[in-house]
Amino acid sequence: MKKILITALVLLAVTAVAFCTLEAGPLLHLKSALLGLLSPISRSGGAVKSSLGDLGKDLMTLEQLQSEYDRVLAENRKLRAENNGLRDFQQENNHLRDVLGYRERSSFRLVPAAVIGHDSGVWWSTVRINRGSRDGIVPDMPVITDKGLVGKTTAVSDSISEVLLVTDENCKVAAKVEGTREQGICAGTRSPGGELQLTFLSKLADLQPGQKVYTAGVSGGIFPSGIALGTVKSFRARELDGMAVLDPTADPAAVEEVFVVTGAK
Amino acid sequence: MNRAFLFIILVLALPLSLAVQDLLPSLPPCRERIQLLPVVFAFGVLALPLVPALWFALFAAVVQGLSLVQVQAGQAEIGLTLPVVFFLFWAIVLQMAGEATKGMRWELHAAGSALVAFTMLSGEFLALCFRRGGFPADMTVLVRIAVPSVAALLLAPLFYLLLRSLVPLAPEEEQQGIPKSTGPVR
Repeated sequence: MKKILITALVLLAVTAVAFCTLEAGPLLHLKSALLGLLSPISRSGGAVKSSLGDLGKDLMTLEQLQSEYDRVLAENRKLRAENNGLRDFQQENNHLRDVLGYRERSSFRLVPAAVIGHDSGVWWSTVRINRGSRDGIVPDMPVITDKGLVGKTTAVSDSISEVLLVTDENCKVAAKVEGTREQGICAGTRSPGGELQLTFLSKLADLQPGQKVYTAGVSGGIFPSGIALGTVKSFRARELDGMAVLDPTADPAAVEEVFVVTGAK
Repeated sequence: MNRAFLFIILVLALPLSLAVQDLLPSLPPCRERIQLLPVVFAFGVLALPLVPALWFALFAAVVQGLSLVQVQAGQAEIGLTLPVVFFLFWAIVLQMAGEATKGMRWELHAAGSALVAFTMLSGEFLALCFRRGGFPADMTVLVRIAVPSVAALLLAPLFYLLLRSLVPLAPEEEQQGIPKSTGPVR
């Protein structure tokens, strides 16, 4: 009996050390596997939540009308999101193509997805969406709504992906301020209250509340240029740079339907 | 046989609790999330004998650790070392507490759940501060740690009753009045 106990404890120690020494790559694979394992519960739970939420609406409207309305609404959101990107791209193209030699960019190819759960981690802002690798999703793809940027994909399983929200401290986005030459790095805060911080601005930037901030689309970056990020709430000059607090254009915590940008058309 | 069944049920309950807590709505005032995994973990390590409890703690560490893994620039922000050490530590502490109080009680489970939730969230925060730099501890941070811990404290008795009704907890020992390694379940 003693021998069995000792063997079990030695095995436990070996297994614990093996887990502790895992590198980032295998950890991400294991996380994807865990997401895959949880996907039936997450997807069915998300569907139940969604149907409960829609119960009132279904009672009020005809089923066919509702279905048509949902389809048109989704189509409208998709077109608005595309239009948003196209308009900003066009604007950027007109102003800077000749001067800076920016490459021509095409509009986005979008995969619609529904948010099926919020990660219960307290210090990370992530959500789970009902699209995975079999829908063409890979890690580090931008996730948007018709209003603006939501975040980027991180761990991806067959049918579920995790999205790191733009309000997370780790989701850093190169950003530019409308009507100025100011560029900076936009990120969330560790104790997220739903606000964004735009740092590394010029101390003399003097941004005004209400000014819009868009993704800058740096070379080799994840996020294309011209996606709305937020509006300036306040600005203050710090010792070395200027910092603006932004209200995100799309409230990532409340978002229910998103689009994953899988590439250019 | 009962203990093997209990171990399997509890191991299955861990990922299930993770999936369910992700589906639950957030709590006011700062959109705090309810933590169910510490409640299931505390129940498991109190109900199981020492060695299975340690294996259960390792499994809990892997599930919780993987759910939090974020890879930045090819590096995992918090790997599995911290959760493994943390959950094994708490498994031993709760086992000792079970022995000291002569058995598993709902009060011990509730207190254990809240303490595990509180120290887990605090530990994550400190690890992130160490990793990212800075120490932005303010009232919001305290609220974000305290609210899920209090929620765990309040939910623990319900889970205690639910899990005890679902899982046959060594009835032969209860009948004979013989304490198992962690003491009889009351």
